[in-house]
Amino acid sequence: MWSDLTNLLYQAYEQYSFLPLFIEIALFFIFIAIFATIFAYGVILFRRWKGYVHDKRMKFIRPKVEEMITEQVLINENLEQIPVEEIEFDQAAINDKIFKKPWVRQVVIDILIQYRKNFRGEVGELLRKLYIDMNLTKDSFEKMKSLKWERKIKAVVELTQMDVQISDVTILPLTNSTNPSLRAAARNAYIQLSKNEPFKFFDVATEPILPWDQLELFRIITTTKDIAIPNFSRWVSYSTNKSVVSFCLKLIAHYDQQTAIPAVMDLLNNKDHYFRANAINCLGKLGAEAAEDRLTKIYATQPIHCQLEILKALGRIASGNNLEFLKNEFLFSSNFDVRMAAARSIIKHNTPASRAMVEDLRATTYEENKLIISHCLNPLIKH
Amino acid sequence: MTTILIIEDDDIMLKAVRNILTKAGYNVLTAKDGKEAFDKMENCEYDIVITDLMMPYANGLEVVSRLRSDSTKRHVSIIVVSSVGNEETITEAFRLGADDYLKKPIMAGELLIRLRKLIENRSTSNLKLVTKKK
Repeated sequence: MWSDLTNLLYQAYEQYSFLPLFIEIALFFIFIAIFATIFAYGVILFRRWKGYVHDKRMKFIRPKVEEMITEQVLINENLEQIPVEEIEFDQAAINDKIFKKPWVRQVVIDILIQYRKNFRGEVGELLRKLYIDMNLTKDSFEKMKSLKWERKIKAVVELTQMDVQISDVTILPLTNSTNPSLRAAARNAYIQLSKNEPFKFFDVATEPILPWDQLELFRIITTTKDIAIPNFSRWVSYSTNKSVVSFCLKLIAHYDQQTAIPAVMDLLNNKDHYFRANAINCLGKLGAEAAEDRLTKIYATQPIHCQLEILKALGRIASGNNLEFLKNEFLFSSNFDVRMAAARSIIKHNTPASRAMVEDLRATTYEENKLIISHCLNPLIKH
Repeated sequence: MTTILIIEDDDIMLKAVRNILTKAGYNVLTAKDGKEAFDKMENCEYDIVITDLMMPYANGLEVVSRLRSDSTKRHVSIIVVSSVGNEETITEAFRLGADDYLKKPIMAGELLIRLRKLIENRSTSNLKLVTKKK
């Protein structure tokens, strides 16, 4: 049979070379299409089979794991009777043969994490103790050694959720990984786990902190309890990583670190205008009155977005020393955005002098400027 | 025995709270989404509702609103449990008539204390439990 098939293929091949070119091309594409279809069906079937096996396994194991966690943690008789660290689990239950299989241990970790997301306090601590007592930390640390970044991220997330310390030697290199997802996960973990120096990775960061990662980091920093907040001006002064400096400026403004004002003012000499814009924005949010003179002095030499930031900053600082400067910009600038920003800043002062100035401008200026003032005075329009 | 209706779409959380409350001696009913919740709210008797905020079909605020607009269910106390912890949502929940608000992750002990307080408040204000004692 095999020899017949081989002969048939051989004959087909011999005839193939005598066929017209367009038939040859058509046959070639037909073969490719057939192979691609068979391959695609094979992949789909394999994935479906894998999914089916996974679902079947989950249906079998999840109730068992949940039952074990419920008995050992949620309805543990000793809970709230004795300190969590003194509670002993039923060794027979947690060392059951079934919990030795790697895939089952992964299910246990996943479910423990889900519980930890929903419970804190003693239940949360007991869930952590169960994770440690079942030696699941070992599984997570094994995953950290994997070459696949997805597995590394999973490990980092597991250890962070379970509040298990990861040594700096292991985690710090990951905070600077070339893979953005791994880098972000490691940085988030580092801030949550490092009790003394949660921002140490800023020192070694050469890869950028992407805008979305900055948002996530900001959320973690502002919501993690008992986090040691350093003076961020040290990175503003010495970091060569632009995104670190930009992120630190946001943190300085958020934590109102007045002592950082001189370091932020130094950035006004920076050649990068985005840096300067960020620094001006930060000075405004800090209400840095000491920076006002400097800002008005450099105003004329700045690109437009830096000028707009200066006008906004003067409105935020609202010392009243630069009302005339703002008025001049409002009246004589040819740029609409500048006039708008100047008007907003004058109104933002909200002092008797600024209110008198606004009334005076409304009475004397031309129609378009009046419209700008009316727009800026409208409390329903948020700026 | 006090009957508590738990409305929660997260299976793990639902089972966990059910187990904790059962262990604490409460009679527990459960609903996995807004639809099932409305069904049980109509057809079952209960004294306290613990509801999540974000669920399929109807959110927790709708549950609170419906309970408070039904004059026959005025006696029911409501605890909202959610990971949404912003002030607007909490204020809205209280405005609609929720009695208490817990932010996830919750503390099991705190939940039990708050439940006990609600039950005590009910008894001091002479409200009778709807469910009959077994």
